[in-house]
Amino acid sequence: MEFTDCVEQADLRSVVRAFAARHAPPDYDQKIWERLSTELGLTALAVPEGFGGAGAGPAEVAVAVEELGRVLLPSPYLSSAAAALALARAAADCPEPAERYLPGLAAGSMTGALALDADVTVDGDTITGVAGNVVDGAMAGLLLVRAGDDLVAVAATEAAVEPLATLDQTRGQAAIRLNRARAVPAGSAASAVALHRVLLAAECAAAAEYCLEVTVDYLKTRRQFGRPIGSFQALRHRAADLAVAVSSARATARAAVRTAAINTGANTTGDSDSAALAALAPLAALHCSRTFLQVTGEMIQLHGGIGFTWEHEAHRYFKRAKSSQLLLGPASALRAEIGRAAGLLPADPPVTATLGWGPAPR
Amino acid sequence: MPVPDEDTFRNDVRGWLAANLTGDFAPLVGSGGPGREHEFVQERMAWERRLGAAGWIGLGWPESDGGRGLPWQHQVIFYEEYARAGAPARVGHIGEQLLGPTLLMFGTAGQRARFLPGILAGTQLWCQGYSEPGAGSDLAAVSTRARLDGGQWHLDGQKVWTSLAQFADWCFVLARTEPAADRHRGLTCLLVPMRQPGIEIRPIVQLTGTSEFNEVFFDDARAAAADIVGAPGDGWRVAMGTLAVERGVSTFGQQMGFQREFEAVLATARANGAIDDPDLGARIVEAWVGLQVMRYTAMATLGRAATDVPGTEANISKLLWAPWHQRLGELAVDVAGAAATITGPRYELDNAQRLFLYTRADTIYGGSNEIQRNVIAERGLGLPREPH
Repeated sequence: MEFTDCVEQADLRSVVRAFAARHAPPDYDQKIWERLSTELGLTALAVPEGFGGAGAGPAEVAVAVEELGRVLLPSPYLSSAAAALALARAAADCPEPAERYLPGLAAGSMTGALALDADVTVDGDTITGVAGNVVDGAMAGLLLVRAGDDLVAVAATEAAVEPLATLDQTRGQAAIRLNRARAVPAGSAASAVALHRVLLAAECAAAAEYCLEVTVDYLKTRRQFGRPIGSFQALRHRAADLAVAVSSARATARAAVRTAAINTGANTTGDSDSAALAALAPLAALHCSRTFLQVTGEMIQLHGGIGFTWEHEAHRYFKRAKSSQLLLGPASALRAEIGRAAGLLPADPPVTATLGWGPAPR
Repeated sequence: MPVPDEDTFRNDVRGWLAANLTGDFAPLVGSGGPGREHEFVQERMAWERRLGAAGWIGLGWPESDGGRGLPWQHQVIFYEEYARAGAPARVGHIGEQLLGPTLLMFGTAGQRARFLPGILAGTQLWCQGYSEPGAGSDLAAVSTRARLDGGQWHLDGQKVWTSLAQFADWCFVLARTEPAADRHRGLTCLLVPMRQPGIEIRPIVQLTGTSEFNEVFFDDARAAAADIVGAPGDGWRVAMGTLAVERGVSTFGQQMGFQREFEAVLATARANGAIDDPDLGARIVEAWVGLQVMRYTAMATLGRAATDVPGTEANISKLLWAPWHQRLGELAVDVAGAAATITGPRYELDNAQRLFLYTRADTIYGGSNEIQRNVIAERGLGLPREPH
């Protein structure tokens, strides 16, 4: 498994980083989105060439996700790219939604959103129900809705979409209501869930790395008691612990991205990779989201009072970290899924229950 | 020699281990290692020679120095297969992984020709004389003295925590040769034969009740004038080179050992029903998550290490594995429950008890975890030093 960027990925990374550094607006900006799509071609990365895309894949999409995530650039990129990757992956079995939506997703003229925690029922070719936390749902043209083990594609025009005010103001959500909306099969839910988790893990790890960099810079420049506060061992050791956490999160996210890339590749779709991803996607999501939260909490603390202000950027990362973690679901559920996928736990484990300090069995 | 492809190499390693861990060596499976270094020592020394004769020592060393010149991927495969087979913990690892690479970096051609073949053949065992009672985390406070007199070095002082000293043929000793110099200067790395009248070895009984480590006393012990690594006074640079040399290839073997320990805990939990306890079940999954995270972190490290100067990867790795291993030890006895409070009649420990107790050493030896954090803060993050 290759853990470093290839030349093309490294080029892509520096282009996106430079663009994001110049153009990260506080709110969603349609012009920035258009430039991301057309000038930088990021939206095309997730889409095969046959559908108007660049024929890249999860590895390249993850590079863009990581670099946009470092600056919390408000955009539906992660959601839309995950939707495109899921549609592309299902295209052989479900050509209709791929043909209909992928060209628009590739061009960036339309965006997609995932409703993976939906309470819906499918009746023939219609779907009815609600989904409460649809990230980037307000501006999406395509909704990929989870219905049990399946994924269905619904045009947003078929849904009642209510934008929501979010704790993390850099990432929008919507509540959607579907009333006998026309729905087309779009592959397996598990595949979309895994792709989304892998990209979110990559974003968390990259943003955590940025937060560590900012915090270390502050520790070097902020002076108290006549010396940089980064020379105090109490703080140095905490920074070192964060470096360990970030390093492990970056590696874990990278492994998940690489496994997803192999898994969605045109020539290799080995079952072993699929099985590996079944454990690795929730594992990376669990590890990277809690690392991100750890780093951002420490970012606030190590900045002292300034870190508690609205003006400082720390709170935006802290809110993104916790929101990401909450949207992934409880750690106990992720653990149960990992335990089952890795064959550690029986198929129907009691671990999903709330954790308690029960007596050790004799 | 052409580099064999990885699958072929893996099959070769696996086949050789299966064919050789038999007969007299069969009882060695799973023996040795932390908390168990006292087991089968003579047999493991014979095993070391068997490994050497078959060319399994010095896989990454240059061919011009008698090694195999294999890339890190092959070394990882060897360590993985070695651990997977449950082959015994090495007694020659200090020579192969610490002294050998140090000589490759700092030794003269004559020293390499003299000392490397014994390590490669598994016939010469080494121990490391760095720590002292007054120089643990503060290694530069070394006070063992060596003075050149009559064409020989004369050593006086004490080393401590010296693994395998009672079996070693040689020790590489960090000693003070210029008492007047600044504390980081004036140190020299000496190659000292262990079997001589001026050396006394006393085992240290650890909290496990067993002895892996020793105190080594030098009372006018001798070393040849030419048997120093680097120049006189250059010992600190050599010592730091030794510590940085561990680039993480052996990490994979270590992790395979962790995997085996984890599987043993899992098997117990399944057998006694502990797996159904929500807390224990969650901790078992978390232990597995930690294993995967360590593995990916090590793989990412190795991918970079080929071209980079040694960074803080080894320090990061230790801060990941040592606390993880301690948690596994706690999990092991929690899974066993009250049964883990009973030992054998002479304080014989089972695997869970040994893991629980011995892993307290993990965050202390090889540079305490606090020292690892200092190194990461300074060298990795570039934070300013703490003023003295």
